[in-house]
This record gives sequence, structure tokens and C-alpha cells, in this order.
Amino acid sequence: MSGARSTTAGAVPSAATTSTTSTTSNSKDSDSNESLYPLALLMDELKHDDIANRVEAMKKLDTIALALGPERTRNELIPFLTEVAQDDEDEVFAVLAEQLGKFVPYIGGPQYATILLPVLEILASAEETLVREKAVDSLNNVAQELSQEQLFSDFVPLIEHLATADWFSSKVSACGLFKSVIVRIKDDSLRKNILALYLQLAQDDTPMVKRAVGKNLPILIDLLTQNLGLSTDEDWDYISNIFQKIINDNQDSVKFLAVDCLISILKFFNAKGDESHTQDLLNSAVKLIGDEAWRVRYMAADRFSDLASQFSSNQAYIDELVQPFLNLCEDNEGDVREAVAKQVSGFAKFLNDPSIILNKILPAVQNLSMDESETVRSALASKITNIVLLLNKDQVINNFLPILLNMLRDEFPDVRLNIIASLKVVNDVIGIELLSDSLLPAITELAKDVNWRVRMAIIEYIPILAEQLGMQFFDQQLSDLCLSWLWDTVYSIREAAVNNLKRLTEIFGSDWCRDEIISRLLKFDLQLLENFVSRFTILSALTTLVPVVSLDVVTEQLLPFISHLADDGVPNIRFNVAKSYAVIVKVLIKDEAKYDALIKNTILPSLQTLCQDEDVDVKYFAKKSLAECQELLKN
Amino acid sequence: MDMEIDDPMHGSDEDQLSPTLDEDMNSDDGKNNTKARSNDEDTDEELEDFNFKPGSSGIADHKSSKPLKLTNTNINQLDQWIEHLSKCEPLSEDDVARLCKMAVDVLQFEENVKPINVPVTICGDVHGQFHDLLELFKIGGPCPDTNYLFMGDYVDRGYYSVETVSYLVAMKVRYPHRITILRGNHESRQITQVYGFYDECLRKYGSANVWKMFTDLFDYFPVTALVDNKIFCLHGGLSPMIETIDQVRDLNRIQEVPHEGPMCDLLWSDPDDRGGWGISPRGAGFTFGQDISEQFNHTNDLSLIARAHQLVMEGYSWSHQQNVVTIFSAPNYCYRCGNQAAIMEVDENHNRQFLQYDPSVRPGEPTVTRKTPDYFL
Repeated sequence: MSGARSTTAGAVPSAATTSTTSTTSNSKDSDSNESLYPLALLMDELKHDDIANRVEAMKKLDTIALALGPERTRNELIPFLTEVAQDDEDEVFAVLAEQLGKFVPYIGGPQYATILLPVLEILASAEETLVREKAVDSLNNVAQELSQEQLFSDFVPLIEHLATADWFSSKVSACGLFKSVIVRIKDDSLRKNILALYLQLAQDDTPMVKRAVGKNLPILIDLLTQNLGLSTDEDWDYISNIFQKIINDNQDSVKFLAVDCLISILKFFNAKGDESHTQDLLNSAVKLIGDEAWRVRYMAADRFSDLASQFSSNQAYIDELVQPFLNLCEDNEGDVREAVAKQVSGFAKFLNDPSIILNKILPAVQNLSMDESETVRSALASKITNIVLLLNKDQVINNFLPILLNMLRDEFPDVRLNIIASLKVVNDVIGIELLSDSLLPAITELAKDVNWRVRMAIIEYIPILAEQLGMQFFDQQLSDLCLSWLWDTVYSIREAAVNNLKRLTEIFGSDWCRDEIISRLLKFDLQLLENFVSRFTILSALTTLVPVVSLDVVTEQLLPFISHLADDGVPNIRFNVAKSYAVIVKVLIKDEAKYDALIKNTILPSLQTLCQDEDVDVKYFAKKSLAECQELLKN
Repeated sequence: MDMEIDDPMHGSDEDQLSPTLDEDMNSDDGKNNTKARSNDEDTDEELEDFNFKPGSSGIADHKSSKPLKLTNTNINQLDQWIEHLSKCEPLSEDDVARLCKMAVDVLQFEENVKPINVPVTICGDVHGQFHDLLELFKIGGPCPDTNYLFMGDYVDRGYYSVETVSYLVAMKVRYPHRITILRGNHESRQITQVYGFYDECLRKYGSANVWKMFTDLFDYFPVTALVDNKIFCLHGGLSPMIETIDQVRDLNRIQEVPHEGPMCDLLWSDPDDRGGWGISPRGAGFTFGQDISEQFNHTNDLSLIARAHQLVMEGYSWSHQQNVVTIFSAPNYCYRCGNQAAIMEVDENHNRQFLQYDPSVRPGEPTVTRKTPDYFL
């Protein structure tokens, strides 16, 4: 970097960019007129040919302001920045816009904050979206610091300028600023004017402005919900008008924003306890759910539970949503079905009548579970098991289990994994015996998948399953599988298998581990041990188990086997034995009185022998372990 | 695991990439060693620079007369670098200089034919696909627990040549007995200027210094390895000027890869299903037939020649009736070839097992399910 920079610096000689030697002499000069230096330096850098330098300079704006002090920042820096904001590149503007949002402290506090508004207004009118967004964020930040008077005298007029400008870019920015004023205006007529302005924006010709209106409307309504007593009926006439503009727009990219607006409106009236508009709003909801534009339907599907919950006070309203919901489940667009598949359980819990779940919802689930798109099936699998909470045991067994078992046999691994990950709730309702017949084949198949990441995923679920299913079931059905992963060809699977044994031992205890795992690990035939990878795996399995089994198991079973590998022909085994010793001593030291002799007569001598090994790596790890052991013994 | 069927190399030749992806010596003017390319003005200027000569980086100015002995300070430093690099973050220029100086004192003492013990895992081209190199270690096990032999071509093509070669060299210095890194035809000043490593160094460091250091270091890489006296490992293939392994031992390897001669051939040749020696379409090295491989293995009492250098769709490919195996360890080569990668594990009893793998899941890419499209933009 420095090389490239010094070459360009040659072309533009300046205090900031010349080589180190001249900077030292410059810093001497600057001692004499230190106060001028920061601004001069910034100006130099901001005139640099290379845009990267200008961006970097802009990022240091706060440092410059701090150095200048509030008064000079107001009188010199801000006017200078106003010039810059009209003549540079978007990258520089973006940084400037962001910086100004935290500038209030540097200009002397809130009473001067309004002088930041003109620069930010210029940036909020920029063509580049990124610049505008940053400017709007910063304007909202600054607005929080403004007093009521400043808000009326400067900020509201700024919104008015932007909202009535010629270009869509300024109007889009204006839409993002209403949230700073809407609830701070306690005067009803002023707030009415503000909403009238917002309505005017909602009637704009360009979809960009209308989208901004639709995106910001829920935010404004939520603010009114938080200040429940503030808004008047007249305000709501405006809001209703704006909502109608959005929901009836002929562009789906505007119309789909009506879904979130609708949810916010419902939340407001529910908070007020006002049900007089609910039927109208339900009609709007049904209209959106059945819209001819799939993006609108997608949005409705994606928010379905949230939307339905707003009608949950009255079962008749929920019933009216059932058919629209079923229509979404059979939508032509895969993306819509995928979105609604995640909402099934969330919606079904508002249905008081189990027969609707059995006769209408479950058949739809059945269809989704056989959907042609794997992402739809996978989405369904991730959330569907919660539906058992709404059914009794017989209903689950007769109506839901067949669907579930089919999904456990899905050809797409994600579907099976998602189901297995959320089986606990099913197990709680129906018990393991019924599940196991189908669960086991699904697990066994995943355990053999050619893609090692699928095998990995199933191993990671094993401890969860073990907890859910209990020790007896586990020993009968899964322990062989868990041991078989130790001999996988892929190292990461072997490693995961080793860690899995540790987690299982944490669940089932040391005795279980001794009887079911360690005894079997130590009994593997000698032929297997001729292979370096197998010896390495057993060694790392035993070492990993050391901290989770009883000290008796460590000394009677693990240590003899590990010591036995200390003179292995392969150095990699020997230095891992050295590492294991440190792990063993670390647990034995807990009962030092009992194991002192064992450590000093068995482990340390073996480690000392390894310290004299011909291989440098064995020596290194043996010495490191020995030092660790001696440190432990000292304390 | 060994495949019984003999897959003739021409099959994989067809799988080879189009000529634009296939490097060849002819693309240069062939006479001037240091000026490979002249379409880029800046580069051309650099090339005129007298500093651009081999050895100009200075990493070998103070070579030790004894192999590097690691101190605790060195070890801590190396462990830090390795940790840093494993996050795919390049080292600073100063650290690269320190690393390369240490590496010279390790590599200069290795033999032209580096003897290697079993068990070892043998790997082919990596080509700057750093995330796939990490995937390789996930499949084969981490170094130093697993011993590795890499057969060259760490740089060029992929986006992370700097990180890849820095990582492997750091591992080599830290665990010289656990990992061996041979030289490939891309470990050369000339080739790296055309296929990406030079430009990547300029982009990541703002100057060619790091490129100079690494290419100076490449001169010290051993060219072949011999696993337990039975498997002869090298990047390219055989040379008509080499009949015995002892002749390889007599070469002076500390130099830029020459345009012809035995050292060039070891890094450039390919097996072919035509017998005898043939002219290589690459413009360097030769093609050699099954008769040549059999004779070489017989003369030197070998069971196998393991080499890399060619893209093979399954990641490995037998040829010459299992006298030669090609191993390629860059999955989805150049991020577009759709090939699998493979490594070959050789255990203490000389059993061989090939492990194939696919490209790693890169950060930012969806891991399991497709992301819902963002309609809100």
C-alpha cells in the first residue's frame, strides 16, 4: 500500500501525503500554527485525486471536528462540508452523510443542531440510494436531539421541502423522516397537516415514492399505537385514505406493502379495543391473500400467523380465513407455498375446532409434504411438528403420524433432518415406540448418506435424540451406529463421532460409558489396530472421554491403553499420547493423594522417555505436556 | 478402494480444460526468462526493473549453514501466523519476509528426492483455492496429526494464492517432519506472472515484493519425494534424461524452473496412452507411455508413480495399468470445472485409500436450504 501511495503523492505534493521524512518536518511547522493544521490537512486530503484517500479523510471527520472545537466546526468546517456535499463522488457523500448523524456533540450541542440540516438536506436529495438512506438515518438521529421549537421551525419545513421537490429522490427521503415528528406533534391540526402531506406523497406518480410511503406507514402507525391516546379520528381518515391508496395500487411492488400496513392498523385498533372496523379490515386481508399478483400473496403467506392473530378475539373471523389459507397451500407459486408451509402450526393454533384441523388443515399438510419442490417440503418440515400440541394422542397417531413418517423417508436430506431436529414434541405426545419403527430407518439412511455434511448433521442430532429417547432405546438401537462413525473415511466425521461419545456420556453417565462404549472400544480386534487411522481415532476417543468419566475408569481402563501406545511406531501417535497424558493428569490431580504415586511412577517416566524421542515433534509435545504436568503438581 | 479398471490418461485429457485454461510454455516468447508478458504497461515497467532478478528479494542473503532449529519464540510466532492464516487473512509483508527467511533454512537442506515415511496423505494441485484446502484438512485430518505430502501448484488460478502458499509454507516451517511441499510448474516466476499469483500479490500488498520473496523461495522447494522407497512422487512426470532416481539426486535444483532439461520435465511431463516419449502439447516436458513408466518402476524397484498436474474429474485417475496415478486436489477447479478433488492416504502397510471431496461451503453461501428471495428490494 505504502508504495502505491507514495507514487501518487509525488504528483500532488501536500502536507498529508508526502513521505515520512517530510511529514516530520511539517509537524514541526504545525506546532507553531497547530490550529490551522487539521482543517488544512482535511482540505488537502479531500482534494486528493484518489477517491480512496478522500473517503479515508471523510472517515476521520469526527477527529478533525474534535480538534477544531465546536465554534470553528460550526463556522468553518460545516460551510466547507456544504460545498463538498455538492461536488464529489457518491462514496464520499455516503461517508459524509453517515458522519454528520453523530455530529451534534462536535458543534456544541443540541442548540446548534439545526445548522447540520442544510448539508443533510442536500445529501438527502442525492441520486444515489445509499447516500440518501444514510442522510435520512442521520437526519432522524439529529431530530432526536432537537427541541420542539427547532422541530417546528427547521425540521418540519425541511420535510416539506423534500416532499414537494421535483425529483422522486427527495420525496423518497421525505417519507423516511415523518417518524421523527409524528408523535412529537401534540397539536392536532399540525399533525393533520403532516398526515395530509403524507397522503399527498401516497398519491405520487412514481412507484418509488409510493413504495417509500408503504414501507414507512407501518412504522408511523406503530408509533401511534405506542401513544394510544394521541391520534384523532381525523388522523385516521387520512391513514385509511393512505392505506386505500396502497392496497389499490395497480403495481404489485407497492400493493404487497399493504400487508404490513394492515397488520399495524389491526394492532392499533386491537390495542384500543375498537372492533368497529374489524370486518372491513378482514375483507382487506382476504383480498390481499387472494390477490392476483403472486408477490402480494407471498407477503400475505409469509405474515399469515401474525395477520391471523390480530383476528383471534373472534372465532368467526378466524373461520373466514381458513379457506384463503387453504388456497395459499395450493398456490401455483412454489415460493408462496414455501412461505405458507412455515405458518401452518402458527395459524392452526387459532382454530378452536379440532375437526377443522383434522379435516381441512391436515389434508393440506399432507399435500405440502408431497410437494414437488424440495424447499417447500423442507420449510414444512422445519415447523410442522408443533401441530401435535393441538391434537390428542389418537388424532396424532391416526392422522398426523403417517404424514410425519413419510417425511422421514423424504428423498431430500434437509426434510428428514428438519423433522428429526424437532421430534421431541412428537415424542412427548405419542411416546417413542410408535416413532422408532420409522425413525430408525430414516436415521440409518442419513447416517450412510454419500455427502459427509449430511452424515455430520445427523451425528449432531444424536445427543438430542438420546435425551429424548432414553438410555434403553439408545443402547438397543443407536449405539452400534455411533461406534460405526468412528471408522468413517472422512476425518471430520470421526472427530464428530468422538465428540458425540463425550456428549452421550454427559447424558448417560460414566458407568454407561464404561459398559457400553469403552469396553467395546478396547475390544476391537488387532487387525484394526494395524491401521494408523484407527489407532489415532481410538486414542482421541479415549482422551476426549477422560474429563467425563470417573477417575477409576480413567486409571483402570483408559490410562493402560493410552500408555501402551507410547512406543507406537508412528510419531503422530506418540505425540498425541504425550498430549493425552496432560489431559489425564489434569483430572487425576483432583484426587492427588490417591493418584500421586500413579502420576509420578507411571505417567511422568513415560513422558520423560517421550522427551528423549528421536522425532522433534514428539519431543516438543512431550516437553510441553511434562511442563504442564509439573505445573499442576506444584499447585 | 483401488480402482481395478485402468483409466487411460487420454480420457482425462479430454476432460482437460479449453486451451485458455491450459497453461503452456509456448505462450511466452520463450527466450526471455523474466519477461513473460507485455500487455500490461505497469507490469512491463516492473519487469524492466533490475531488482526483478532472481534472488532480489533478499530472503536468501543470510542463509544458515545448518537447518533451522525452532526456538520457543519461533514456535509462538509460527503458531500465531498459522492461526491468522487459517482465517484466510494474509500476513503482513514484513511477516512474509520473516517466514520466507526461515523457510529457506528449512528447504535448502531437503534433498532433491525427499525420503518420506508412511503413513502419509498425498495431495495434488491446490491452486489458491484456500477454502478447499481447509476442506482437504477436514477430510484428511489436521496437520500435524496427519502427515501430508503436497505435489506442487499451490498458487495461480484461485483467488487466495497468497494465503494458500503462506499457510503451507508456515506449516512446513513449523512441522518440517509432518508436511512436505514439492515444487510444481506454477511455482515459478514466469508462470505466476501469467496465471494470477503476481497480480494477486500486487493487489493485496500494493507491490511485487511478496511475489519476489515467494518466487525466490520456490527455487528451494524439493522437486520429488520417495515414500518408503516405493512410491515416487512429483508434480509432472518422467524425463527422457532420467533413468534412475539417483540421477534426480544429482540435479542442481536451486534455480528458476528451466525451459528444458530434466528438472523442467519432472515438473511438466504427462503420462499418455501412446507408448514411448512424445512431444508435449504444453510446450514443455514430454508425454510418456506405459512402457516408460513400467521400465522406470522396474529399474528403481518402485510400486507406483504418484503425480498431479492434470485435471481429472474424479479427483484421481489411474493410468499405465496402475503404474501411475494422477491426484488433483482442487475441487471445482477455477470455480467452474465441476470436478471432484481427491487425496490418497497411504497407511503403514502401504494400503492406499482415495478420499474424494467436493468444494467447501464458502462463507456467505447458503449451507442447507435456499434463501428466500428478497422481494423487498
